[in-house]
Amino acid sequence: MSSGSPFAIAAFWCQKAGNAVEEYEDAWSVRRVGETAGCRVAIADGATETSYSKIWATLLVESYIRDSVTGPEFFDRLEAARRLWRQRAFRNTRPLPWYAAEKAKQGAFATFLGFELNVAGKVWRAVAIGDSCMFQLDAAKQEMRVVQAFPLSRSTEFGTSPYLVGSNPEGAATVGAHAEVCQGSLRRDDLILFATDALSAWLLRREEDRAPAWKEACESIAEQSDFEVFVQRARDDGMRNDDVTLLRVTFRG
Amino acid sequence: MPYRAEISRKNPGCFLFLVDQSGSMEDPFGGESGRKKADEMATILNKLIHNISLRCAKSDAIYDYFHVGVLGYSEDKSKPALGGSLAGKELVPISELANNPLRIEDRTKKQDDGAGGIVEQSVKFPVWFDPTWSGGTPMCAALKEAQGVIKKWSAEHAKGFPPIVINITDGESSDGDPVADAKALTGLGTDDGPTLLFNVHLSSTAGAPIELPGKPDGLPDQYAKQLFEMSSVLTPFMVGRARELGMAVDETSRGFVFNAQPVQVIQFLDIGTRPAQLR
Repeated sequence: MSSGSPFAIAAFWCQKAGNAVEEYEDAWSVRRVGETAGCRVAIADGATETSYSKIWATLLVESYIRDSVTGPEFFDRLEAARRLWRQRAFRNTRPLPWYAAEKAKQGAFATFLGFELNVAGKVWRAVAIGDSCMFQLDAAKQEMRVVQAFPLSRSTEFGTSPYLVGSNPEGAATVGAHAEVCQGSLRRDDLILFATDALSAWLLRREEDRAPAWKEACESIAEQSDFEVFVQRARDDGMRNDDVTLLRVTFRG
Repeated sequence: MPYRAEISRKNPGCFLFLVDQSGSMEDPFGGESGRKKADEMATILNKLIHNISLRCAKSDAIYDYFHVGVLGYSEDKSKPALGGSLAGKELVPISELANNPLRIEDRTKKQDDGAGGIVEQSVKFPVWFDPTWSGGTPMCAALKEAQGVIKKWSAEHAKGFPPIVINITDGESSDGDPVADAKALTGLGTDDGPTLLFNVHLSSTAGAPIELPGKPDGLPDQYAKQLFEMSSVLTPFMVGRARELGMAVDETSRGFVFNAQPVQVIQFLDIGTRPAQLR
């Protein structure tokens, strides 16, 4: 975001330990809305166990930030994204082995969280399916108090088989019914973090263990190398080995 | 805490199937006159290998998250039972298995169309294993042979998730009481815990399928009870995953099924996020 913007967004990511960087399957995107009115942020996590899920996660976040809706109706507007997924996933004309062809037919799946902030009104609205999370933090407090955690707020709520947004048209009509919506207002000194599941679950567990890591996530990471050190420490502390994405939105004035 | 090791390409898991190929497998399955237990066995094994392959398929490749082997037992011995180019091999990476079925058949599958209806879909059905039967049921020999395979694999993958052995049988061992050999097998393992032994009992007795019981009460015969006794208790993760799949389980549930197709067992291991819709 430009220096004149009332907010700043920092994004960090790294792939699952042991995987190649091109195997990273999270996606995120940010768009400023109007001159100073606000921004749209989206984060998605392609499911490890489905094929071409990075393409699908990317299409989901790009679709959201170009759209204007903020609720479950977003999931009724994915026809073009689904068409693009099919085009991109199946552009290879070489015949696939039986297992790859059958897996691709199942479609790709991803978590999704979309967020719109109106800076002037200091209000935000978010919609989510799956376990990518946002955390509104009160940075005025010594250890940064959690004002809002969405859509999950306890580390025990994370599983390995969440309901996700699929790239196939089958079942598309009912996806929106699984969406959760949350809204809130922003106060002075608040900041917002977005994170995919492994990091979200670890941050919540640290909070539950009365050893919060919010300040570390907000203040110790300025560059990618800081993030990599932070992620390694978290993994050593029991964070699930997975792709990790962190977006941090801070506000000025 | 055991059973926490990550399963990955660098740190693969292991499935070893023990399949009963004795003469009694020619008998009817579950009270059905036209279907042999050996047919049911072949269907189960082909479906299990199919499901493991699909779980490991990713985009246009297949990831070697598992090493898989099949030991058959009949007459008076146990030996590797894969055929074709895999004949004689004890354990192979899943990619090698997926790429080398005996043949691929075209079959139709009924599927939910997402709008309350059912559609028929054409699917490829790879076959690795055909029904076969002869002679006795040397289950003790098979469990001993498995000990050798598992010992070797575990030594090579000491940090790995413990091996899972799935024994599919009609239950009556002809070379002694298999419980002691089963215990010896589950006494082996990796740094992450003991080997897990699951049993699939295919019986000629008609009756409702039984899945993952916690107690032997209600099992139809002494062979079922013996196989239950030999079966490992599910790990906490497996109990959680079974619940997600809608199965009635608790912390005492064992890896034992009677006259049921245990295809969901393949979902009991964690290799990454799996959409709830693909249960």
